[in-house]
Amino acid sequence: MRFVRLAVAATAGIAGMAVLATPAYAATSQVSVVHGIPGQAVDVYVNGDKALSDFQPGKVAGPLKLEEGDYDIVLTKPGDPVTSPIIKVDDAAVPGGANISLVAHLSADGDPTLTPFVNDVSKLDPGQARLIVRHTAAAPAVDVRAGGKPVFEDLTNPKEAKADLPAGSVKADVVLAGTDTVVIGPANLDLGEGTATIVYAIGSADDKTLALTTQTIEGLHSAPGGVPSGTGGLADQGPSAPWYAAGALGLILVAFGFRRLVR
Amino acid sequence: MRRAVLCIAAGVALLTSFGVVACRSTPPPSVGSENVTALASPSPSPPVSRKSSAPAKAGAVTPTGLRIPKLKLTATIIPVGVDDNGDFAVPPSVDRVGWYRYGPGFAADRGSIAIAGHVDSAEQGKGAFFKLGSLSPGDTVVLTDSEGATREFKVVGRERYAKTKIPLDRYFARDGKPRLTLITCGGPFDASTGHYRDNVVVTAVPG
Repeated sequence: MRFVRLAVAATAGIAGMAVLATPAYAATSQVSVVHGIPGQAVDVYVNGDKALSDFQPGKVAGPLKLEEGDYDIVLTKPGDPVTSPIIKVDDAAVPGGANISLVAHLSADGDPTLTPFVNDVSKLDPGQARLIVRHTAAAPAVDVRAGGKPVFEDLTNPKEAKADLPAGSVKADVVLAGTDTVVIGPANLDLGEGTATIVYAIGSADDKTLALTTQTIEGLHSAPGGVPSGTGGLADQGPSAPWYAAGALGLILVAFGFRRLVR
Repeated sequence: MRRAVLCIAAGVALLTSFGVVACRSTPPPSVGSENVTALASPSPSPPVSRKSSAPAKAGAVTPTGLRIPKLKLTATIIPVGVDDNGDFAVPPSVDRVGWYRYGPGFAADRGSIAIAGHVDSAEQGKGAFFKLGSLSPGDTVVLTDSEGATREFKVVGRERYAKTKIPLDRYFARDGKPRLTLITCGGPFDASTGHYRDNVVVTAVPG
């Protein structure tokens, strides 16, 4: 049995970011749960109630809709009583109106732990996709490469790195920081337009169980800036210049005629 | 005396002709705006987390052809995204129209299938959507896909907006009722910039 406490700093960080990210929505937060501990399916309890059953490693579940508040979160072996946890967190602070991923994973030293991440769900420019990479594996610092070029360098457990990129497919792999030693991949990532793709490095380097699991968040798209679709002027709706000239000539003729009449 | 009356008669004739031309060239007013508004999702949808690590959904089905019987128009559709400015990448060839490939596709059951085409171009003359603004509610628009399947739509609205005021989020929505949105340029032309002031938008619903 292992008791894990959420880092106070991380929780405070979430609360701070959530204030910024809370516009019109109610105080409900969307909490996705990510299972990044190899070899052990779990049941997940929130405040003593079973929220997920037989949750398999490498999977993403939810999102659970949780009101702002403090929650007791317990992970057990499937079927075990809530009193026999694998991981237990008391009073985890869930801020209001945020999109959160709660990740069960191994620390850099290989201990099971829970880390909350606030997901960046700000709108993307048209044509863009967001790639977020989270180091949640029992492994040293890594670089993440796309198409062979490092895009995120020296990432350590439990940190994240992110970038907004043109939508499309990228071939990504993970190498030990500063080396060409591939530890995960390569994997093809389909970065959908208007979508955040969150890639978790999970597992353990020592146990040779390193792997990737992904979560996607849709609906971050925005409309194109405009629709420029004409440069000729042929469809201009107003009368053309000769017609204006005709109209003016008509006015002069009428005025001239009336002057002759009254004289 | 006779010459004075002749002068007046000729003047009135010229003025009347000008008036007729001016009236006929006035762009038709927007119709069916309330129908178009009703198709949009009532509130902006929050971001959606997908459940598992399953791969992204198969891409939307590409519409390949557009037919508008009333305009005697048949146009090839090509899938497009955005240009370097983040604007809709309308196909440069004016006899083709572009489908916004990031949004809903041919078979969409929600959201706006957005297709834009040139009204004209300085180099190529009249475009496929030259007469788009003359469509009225009830007119038929037919989409086809590469398999030859067709999907018929009925026009419910025709609107004209200054480009600075057009509610593009509504026309590129991926939620709300399924609809087809056709967009081109219109209104006064600014010869100094080479651009029209307005966008003309025709909205049609399946049926």
